[in-house]
Amino acid sequence: MVSLARKNLLYDRMRSAITIAGVAFAVTLVLVQVGLFMGLLDKATTTIEHSSADIWVTSRETPNVDFAHTFPETTVLRVRGVTGVERADNLIIAFMNIQLPSGAEEGCLVYALEDFAAWNLPWSVEGGEVRDLKRGMYILMDRSAERRFGPFSAGDYREILGRRFKIIGTTTGAASFTTAPIVFMDYGRAQELNQLLLNRTSYILVKAAPGADVQEVAARIRRVAPYNDVYTRDEWAGRSRRYWVVSTGLGMNMGVTVFLGILVGIVVVAQTLYTSAVEHVKEFGTVKAIGGSDWDIYRILAEQAVIAAVVGFALGAALSYALRPVMARLYLNVLVSPQFALAVFVGTVLMCMGAAVFSFRRVAGIDPALVFRT
Amino acid sequence: MRSPSTNHVLEVEGVVKVFEEGAQRVEVLRGVSLDVEPGQVVALEGPSGSGKTTLLSIMGCILTPTAGTVTVAGEVADAARPRRLRDIRRRSIGFVFQQFNLFPALTALENVEYALNVKGVRGQAARTQALAVLERVGLADRMSFLPRDLSGGQKQRVAIARALAGSPRVLLADEPTANLDTAVGDQILDLFRDLARQESKGIVIVTHDPKVRRIADRVVGIRDGRLAA
Repeated sequence: MVSLARKNLLYDRMRSAITIAGVAFAVTLVLVQVGLFMGLLDKATTTIEHSSADIWVTSRETPNVDFAHTFPETTVLRVRGVTGVERADNLIIAFMNIQLPSGAEEGCLVYALEDFAAWNLPWSVEGGEVRDLKRGMYILMDRSAERRFGPFSAGDYREILGRRFKIIGTTTGAASFTTAPIVFMDYGRAQELNQLLLNRTSYILVKAAPGADVQEVAARIRRVAPYNDVYTRDEWAGRSRRYWVVSTGLGMNMGVTVFLGILVGIVVVAQTLYTSAVEHVKEFGTVKAIGGSDWDIYRILAEQAVIAAVVGFALGAALSYALRPVMARLYLNVLVSPQFALAVFVGTVLMCMGAAVFSFRRVAGIDPALVFRT
Repeated sequence: MRSPSTNHVLEVEGVVKVFEEGAQRVEVLRGVSLDVEPGQVVALEGPSGSGKTTLLSIMGCILTPTAGTVTVAGEVADAARPRRLRDIRRRSIGFVFQQFNLFPALTALENVEYALNVKGVRGQAARTQALAVLERVGLADRMSFLPRDLSGGQKQRVAIARALAGSPRVLLADEPTANLDTAVGDQILDLFRDLARQESKGIVIVTHDPKVRRIADRVVGIRDGRLAA
């Protein structure tokens, strides 16, 4: 079957290029913006997702993993006694000042545990051993800290809250939403550094026994720790994400960007399709004169819209993918899941079809008698 | 509905067409009756504004008459059923336009094939039939050309081939030689005559061109919305 829509697109190359470029721009805008947002959100929960804790016990109303408050560390003893708990340990997360060789002071986010290996924290280490953290004034520092702290390597020394620590290795992938670099140290050292942390903890990490129902275990912990909040891993990650999305207005910002992207796409596609429909109105009259229906004409316009959507999406997706290494050099992670890409594709097709509706209205009920007008 | 007692491929009976715009009422056709037999070429002549294009549109089931009936290949065109009018156009009528009205993005072959697609013929059958009608109008060697690469006469041949797609019994042509030089216009008129004679098409040609009389079996004049034989 001859596709008048496809042929017209190939024939009107400049207009087609403008239409497709408009769609590609909208797709790139949405994919990159939302991808950056998802990448940021990923940082907000990356330690939660990587740790092997099934349940997190927090102080009351802790908004996200970075903004921890403390509670008595003996709570962990009650948690350990709960049926279905295989293991429970205290975790301190606290902002502390670090002295840089330049003389400047910066903030870092300290993660302190007695047995990091038991909780898969940190999950990617180079140049040192996690178990050595217990043996002295040692720290592991995440590679991403280089951006703010300058270059460093294993064997270097840094002062945290006035105490000298040796960097025994580096980690990768451990990041916080606040961009404060993550430093791993022994639980006891962290308490020594900050008197406010003495006999206190920020979280209790809980691993459920094999076969135990995590929700049920969480409910039992709530009963023995009534002054704490208890979340499963997914609940806690969701709460941390929601905080940044809702409380900071980032979600609204993202919504506006997506809306603008879609608006730009609709305006460009609608405008070019409409102009095309107006210029081809005599052709559409001919289609009707030779026996075609309004639906035959709608089909031509719809097919043009779908082609623009598919090609525009492919170009936009390719451009977004090509931008990833550029963003990575800026320490920005563009995270696009297959589900989100699929949603953007469907949205693009719907956007283009929606834009085509303006053209439908222009050609609806077109008078085929216009074919006799010169 | 079928008219049982006719041998004509096209019958127009007492057609009146009134255009109303606000308080203004213009009676363009005033009781026109006309028959066309198979194999007959009818030339419809008249000055501008006489109503000949309106009559052609009504005969082609594109416009509906205010009063009167039109019967095409035995089927009465029922103004109340637009879908039926469209079906009649698909089955029984081919149009040839003064401006050719070819699809500029389609090759000569595709222009004909697309018309067949619209009429419900698809795939290889459409391509084979399209090629056959292009051969019939002597343009098979230009089948891959876009309209912009064809001469006026060649464009009109493609337009005639498109009109022939689906083997309609009636061809309606609106000033088909107006944009052609004399020699090419003569060739196109010969083609119309041959189609009428060899394929028993009923052909109505609306024209200002006196040369059409050469091939016409009947010449019908129209003035002020009335036929004058």
